[in-house]
Amino acid sequence: MRAFLDNLRLAFGTFIANPLRTLLTLLGIVIGVATVIAMMSLIEGLRLKVNRDLSQLGANTFQVTKWPVGFGRVNWNKYAKRPNFTLADRDDVMKHATLVRTVSAEDAHGGQKVSTSDRETRPTVIIWGVTPEWTETSGVEVQSGRFFSQAEELEGRAVAVLGQDVVDVLFPGTDPIGQQVRVRNRPYTVIGVLQRRGSFLGIASMDNLVMLPMHAFHAAFGQNRSVDLNVQAIDAASVKQAQEEVTQIFRRRRGLSPFDENNFEVHTNDSMTRMFNSLSQVISAASFGVCLLSLVVGGIGILNIMLVSVTERTREIGIRRALGARRRRILMQFATEAVALSLLGGVLGIAIGYFVAFLARWVLDFPAVVPVWSVVLSVVMSSVVGLAFGIYPAARAARLDPVEAMRSE
Amino acid sequence: MSVIRVEGVTRDFVVGEETVRALRGVSFTVEKGEWVAIVGQSGSGKSTLMNVLGCLDTPTSGSYWLNGHDVARMGDDELARIRNQEIGFIFQTFQLLPRETALANVELPLVYRGVGRKERRERAREALEKVGLGHRMTHRPNELSGGQRQRVAIARALVAEPSLLLADEPTGNLDSATGEEIIRLFADLHAAGHTLVLVTHEPKLAARCPRAIRISDGTIVADGPGREVALGNLAEHARAHG
Ligand SMILES: Nc1ncnc2c1ncn2[C@@H]1O[C@H](COP(=O)(O)OP(=O)(O)OP(=O)(O)O)[C@@H](O)[C@H]1O
Ligand SMILES: [Mg+2]
Repeated sequence: MRAFLDNLRLAFGTFIANPLRTLLTLLGIVIGVATVIAMMSLIEGLRLKVNRDLSQLGANTFQVTKWPVGFGRVNWNKYAKRPNFTLADRDDVMKHATLVRTVSAEDAHGGQKVSTSDRETRPTVIIWGVTPEWTETSGVEVQSGRFFSQAEELEGRAVAVLGQDVVDVLFPGTDPIGQQVRVRNRPYTVIGVLQRRGSFLGIASMDNLVMLPMHAFHAAFGQNRSVDLNVQAIDAASVKQAQEEVTQIFRRRRGLSPFDENNFEVHTNDSMTRMFNSLSQVISAASFGVCLLSLVVGGIGILNIMLVSVTERTREIGIRRALGARRRRILMQFATEAVALSLLGGVLGIAIGYFVAFLARWVLDFPAVVPVWSVVLSVVMSSVVGLAFGIYPAARAARLDPVEAMRSE
Repeated sequence: MSVIRVEGVTRDFVVGEETVRALRGVSFTVEKGEWVAIVGQSGSGKSTLMNVLGCLDTPTSGSYWLNGHDVARMGDDELARIRNQEIGFIFQTFQLLPRETALANVELPLVYRGVGRKERRERAREALEKVGLGHRMTHRPNELSGGQRQRVAIARALVAEPSLLLADEPTGNLDSATGEEIIRLFADLHAAGHTLVLVTHEPKLAARCPRAIRISDGTIVADGPGREVALGNLAEHARAHG
C-alpha cells in the first residue's frame, strides 16, 4: 500500500512536470470516454422521454395502419399495394369486435399554412382529420370550447379544434372560439382548443396542429388515402386479445387465407418501445465503435509516451535499482503511471461527457441523464487500456541493468 | 568471517569486436571494521571492481562472497535487498535524481526499505545535517555545487546505516577543507565499526587509510599499509611475489 502511494506520487509528479505532453497523450482516451458518456446520457434521456411520451397516448390503445412505422428499409412497393383503411373499416370493427370499447380514425397532412384575415402561421402546421372518438382514444382533452360531435362529423361541417401553438400565433390575447380560420382557402369555424401537450421526444411540438372532422378533412385533402385506426380495448387486460380479435376481423374482411401474411400493421406502445430499443442499440453499438477506436488510439498514445518516458528516465531507473528497488517495484511504478495517466484521461472524459449532457439539458431542453453504469464502465475501460498498453514499457523499464542504465545519458 | 572475499574475479566487456578485460583475476579479503583504499590509474578497473563489490554487476568469472554468502547464487530480488540494506554506495558521478530535491534523493534508499514518510524525512534530514547540508535540503541537484552534490550522495549512502560503505572518489570534487571534513566523517564511521572501501586518486588520502590496494590494468599490484602503497613502495614487492 505504501509502495502504491509512493508510485502514485511519482506518477503525478511526472504529469505535473510535463503537463502539455500529458494532456496531448490523453486526448484519445478523453475523446473515447466522453463519447461513451455523452451518447449514453443522450440515449438514456431518449429512453425516459420515449417512455413518458408513449404513455401519453391513450390508455389501452393500439393502432392499426396500412403503413409500418419504421426507420428506413421500407419496401415501399409492397406496402403501397395494400388496401386502404376507410371509415367503413372503422364502423365494421365497432360493429363486430366484442373486446373493443371504441375506435377512432385519423389521418394527417403536414406542412400547411393556417390563416385568419390578418394573421398567418408558418407552413408547418399539421392538419388532422379525425373522428369524434379521437379524444377518448388519444386521451387528449379540450381546454376550452368543445370537440366536434358525431353530427358535425357526419354532416361534414367545416369546424376546427386548434392546437395551442396555432392559437398563440393566430389569436394572441383573444378568444379564438367562434372565430374563422382558413386552411387551403377553405374557412373553418373554431369550436375548441386542445390542452397543451408539449413536444414529442423534445423535438417536434405536438401543439402545432388543427383538428378537422374526417369528412371535412377529406373534402379538403381528398378521399383517396388510408386512415389510421386507433382501437381502444375495453380494459388493460384485454389489449392483447383485442388485437387478436381485430386482426381476425380484418383478415376475414380482406379475404386472406390462413397462409397469407397480414396486409396491415398492428402497433402497440410495446412495439413502439421495442422499435426504439432496437434503434438505441444501433446508436449504442456505433458510439461504442467510435469509443473503442479512440481508446485504441489513446492506448497507443500511452504506449508511445511511456516508451519515451522509460528511455528518458533510464538513468533514474538505474539509480533506483542501484539503491535497492526490485524489478517488480520498477514495473509497478511505470504500470501505475500508465494506469494513472489513462484514468486521468477517463476522468476528464467523464467530466466532458457530463458537460455535454448538461448542455443538452440546458440548451436543448433534452432530458439527458448520465447512467451510473456508463461512468463505472468508463473508469474500468480506461484502467484496462492504461494497463494493457503500459505494461510493455514498464516491463522494459524493469528489465534494465542497473550499471548499464546509470551509464546512459 | 570476512565481509568481502573475492577470488579470481574477472570482468570482460565486449565492445563490438573487441573484449575489454577490465578485471583480470582479482583476489582479496576485507574484514569487518577495515578501512581500505583502492588506488590506481584512470581506467585501471577501480569502478568496475566497486560495481562488483556493490552487487550492481556480476563477475565474468571468479567468486564473490559477501558476509559469507555467495553472491552468484543470489536472485535479483535478494541482490536488490542487499544493495538497499547492507551496502551504502557513493558513485563516482553522484547519480542523483535531477528532478528531486536533496531531501527526496537522500530518502530514496528508505523508500525501498518500506520506511514511512515521516520517519524517512526525519532520517534524511539528519543525514544531510551530518554532511553539513542542513540549509540546502529543498534544492535540486542542478541548484547545488559539485561539492554539495557530492555531499548529498554521501548522505544518501549513509542514511540507511549500511554495514559496508563503498565510495568511488568521494572527495574528488571537494576543496581540501571540505574534503578534510568528509575524511573525518569516514574516520568517525571507521571508529564506529563500519567497514569502508573507498577509491581515491589522492595519495594523501590513501596514506591515511590503514590499508590500501593498488590496481593496475585490472590486477592487484600492491596490497598493504596505506602509507606504503600510496608511496609506491610495495609495488615491486607485490610483483615479486605475485
Ligand atoms: N560498460 C562498459 N563497457 C565497456 N567497457 C567498459 C565498461 N565499463 C568499464 N569499461 C572499461 O573498463 C576499463 C576500466 O574502467 P573503470 O571505469 O573501472 O576504470 P576506473 O579505474 O574507475 O577509472 P577512473 O579512475 O577514470 O574512474 C576501462 O578501460 C573502461 O573503458
Ligand atoms: Mg572510476
